[in-house]
Amino acid sequence: MAAKIKLDNASFKYPIYALASRSLKVSMFRQATGGSIGDKGGVVYVQALSNISFELSPGDRLGIIGRNGSGKSTMLRVLAGLAHPQSGTVTVEGRVVPLIEKALGINPELSGYANIELPLRLLGATRAEVKKAQQEIPEFCGLGRFIHLPFRTYSDGMKTRLAFAISTALQADILVLDEWLAAGDLEFQERAEVRLTKLLDDTEIVVLASHAPQLIEYVCNKTLWMHGGEMVMLGPTREVLEAYQRSTHNPISLAYAATG
Amino acid sequence: MSAEADRLLILEPGRAERHYWRDLWSYRELFAILAWRDLAVRYKQTVIGVVWAVLRPLLTMMIFTVIFSVVARLPSEGAAPYPILVYAAMLPWFLFSTILSEASNSLVSNANLISKVYFPRLIVPCATLLVSLVDFLVSFVLLLGLMAVFSFWPDWRILLLPLFILLAILAALGPALLMTAMNVKYRDFRFLIPFVVQFGLYVSPVGFSSSVVPEQWRLLYSLNPMVGVIDGFRWCLLGGEAQIYWPGFCLSLAVVAILLVIGVRYFRHTERTFADIV
Repeated sequence: MAAKIKLDNASFKYPIYALASRSLKVSMFRQATGGSIGDKGGVVYVQALSNISFELSPGDRLGIIGRNGSGKSTMLRVLAGLAHPQSGTVTVEGRVVPLIEKALGINPELSGYANIELPLRLLGATRAEVKKAQQEIPEFCGLGRFIHLPFRTYSDGMKTRLAFAISTALQADILVLDEWLAAGDLEFQERAEVRLTKLLDDTEIVVLASHAPQLIEYVCNKTLWMHGGEMVMLGPTREVLEAYQRSTHNPISLAYAATG
Repeated sequence: MSAEADRLLILEPGRAERHYWRDLWSYRELFAILAWRDLAVRYKQTVIGVVWAVLRPLLTMMIFTVIFSVVARLPSEGAAPYPILVYAAMLPWFLFSTILSEASNSLVSNANLISKVYFPRLIVPCATLLVSLVDFLVSFVLLLGLMAVFSFWPDWRILLLPLFILLAILAALGPALLMTAMNVKYRDFRFLIPFVVQFGLYVSPVGFSSSVVPEQWRLLYSLNPMVGVIDGFRWCLLGGEAQIYWPGFCLSLAVVAILLVIGVRYFRHTERTFADIV
């Protein structure tokens, strides 16, 4: 079965309960998000996506670009099955592995080895895949005997290594990434780069949300520019990025925009 | 690509989760892993974990025996020693209260999972059942010790105990699911649950036999589902010394069933928004 993603006029909004009927805060929020917030019956809604339609098939690498609060992350959450659209349809065929969170499901009290299974299971791994990963991950990380000590005793570098290895252990049909995965120290970075590149090459569809145009240019053949939850432009990466950079006064600042 | 990994996901509004229960079944392995992880973390400091499961009911039992038997001079059921009468009720009560508190915190404490990946949320509170059940078994072993001390042995009725354990779990599950779901939306429930647990200990017939409740109030009293559960436990464990008040027991059963339906329905109704608001 070939992987496929199809969005047909999908819209999504989510409620913010803590803000209910606090008009000052609401109007502040409205400013901050570029007018994408509504207020209905005391509950405040963020209109995170409006009327999104596009279709992806094998070989597509879609980059999503836009400023903070433009709906990039929500887009990824919809593809991961986390957010249900209030109107329109979302069809996703094939196994989706969302790499949105790095240390997903890791419990600091359990050993590194014991921590391999739950994150993979959450991502939908079968028992055989978990077994394979349990052999391959300790070797790849090079953690030695630390793999049998509690995760909380690890150095930051070791934590990053293990989390990276777990995140990238599973072969998917569709890979959903929020920014590029960090890989720790230099020596490890090279191996990590090779591993991630291979994973992406073996994946039919990749969706990558990022603030960095260079990264999208490097990975993606298609790009979606979003603003205020709406599609501004969708097309070949170069064209979209050019238009996107033209629209901002200072294109260089974009690469350094705060992550969100 | 294995057949298992092939998946089709269609999201659209109003598409009732027609395959909800079948979907749930396909996540049984994840359920088992979550349950084992909870248990492993809980008993990581093994000594404290086990001691806690023993000390809590034992100390409460001693205090209740002193207050209700020695001070208030309430009668036991037949020839059953008062400490055993109390302890036989303490077992289901702590099972109930542990499920309630463990489950209701489960979604919030697993917020990082829920907001990042999709799976049926129902398995998170249900996975905490294993921890509660293991605590229960540890306390149960202590009951056997108590019975040896008092040379008081149960009869064949103890064989029916698993049924009442199941009833205690179901009685806890309904309110637990309701509170779990509400706790996600309104964090105030975090403060309400310890109060409910403490309050419930006194309005349930834990420190005394439910036969001391005046006849005309008994049916009303049985609206508390734990009355039926506790009476059932005593019936099983006190060797024929305790009687079940059947009209009240049936009423308790009905309340358990109604709460369970409400709990599951409310949970399912709000489940989809958890990832957005947790």
